[in-house]
Amino acid sequence: MSKKRDRLEVIYDFLKIIQDNHNSIKPTPLLRKTNLSSQSFLEYYKELLSGGFIRDIYNKQNKKFITLTDKGFKYLGKYKTIIGFIGEFEL
Amino acid sequence: MGIHTSNKQVMNMPMPYFINTPNLGIELAYTIVILIFCFLVYFKTREIYNLTKHKGMQFFRYAFIFFGLAYASRLFLYLMIFGSDNMFGFSMIRRTMMPVSNLVVAFFSTMAILYLAYSTIWKNINIEHFLTFSNIIALFVAVMAFVSRSTLTVSLIQLVLMVFAAIIIFINHKKDKKKFGTKALYLLIFALWIFSLFALESRRIMSFEFKIGFQIISLFVFIAIYYKVAKLVK
Repeated sequence: MSKKRDRLEVIYDFLKIIQDNHNSIKPTPLLRKTNLSSQSFLEYYKELLSGGFIRDIYNKQNKKFITLTDKGFKYLGKYKTIIGFIGEFEL
Repeated sequence: MGIHTSNKQVMNMPMPYFINTPNLGIELAYTIVILIFCFLVYFKTREIYNLTKHKGMQFFRYAFIFFGLAYASRLFLYLMIFGSDNMFGFSMIRRTMMPVSNLVVAFFSTMAILYLAYSTIWKNINIEHFLTFSNIIALFVAVMAFVSRSTLTVSLIQLVLMVFAAIIIFINHKKDKKKFGTKALYLLIFALWIFSLFALESRRIMSFEFKIGFQIISLFVFIAIYYKVAKLVK
């Protein structure tokens, strides 16, 4: 049985899915791929949006897509460092 | 003996502790180095904290800020205890400032101990209003320091806090089954701080070599922590 993902891991998965989809994904497939409940998804989505990790963009048909910001890419780049730091200092 | 003393007599008078030893220079260098490394730990972790807003990281960073402030205010207290009256103008000012410095040292150091201990156990023990809780304890210790006017009282209260923190850390460590290295380093930081405070009042009976040895160990621990941080957060 896989253990429950912690907050940082969920954020990493969330952002990684967007990156792996050419940095542009619709909310519904993102919800499905993150394996989160609708409620949790919405909470993380709002947190990442307000934190400046992701932003919404609209295409010509006015369809909403979610994309990473520079901060989002930075989080992905630093994730291993962050996990290493937390593990080393047992935080 | 008359009021007027000859130059020869003045030269033969025992010099105050503060002046006849290089203690001030050593204390100053010791405090500055620890202060620098505490602030370096704080600033080095700023980026990864801003990215995550991780609670444990927040407590860890604040602990080092508080340790830096505790060591800085300890230097001020040291000057109050060992400085000559000439240095501060009036002994009256010194008498007023000493309990205040005691209070500040006690507050910052208690906050540092509580924050560092809580940074390792917050996942298992959730204290909802930790900021309020830690402030109440730190204020209590600070008031005790102010009333007693003794660093010995503070070091004894903090020793009890340290033992309590060590027990909780140890119980949680058994649950976590992780290595004990970093937690042991934290306990060493607590012990070194408490000893540095205790040493202020018993300095006159402590040998110079012992004091230097102890200060080198303290510096080594703070530098080791910074080195560990710097290695991880490039």
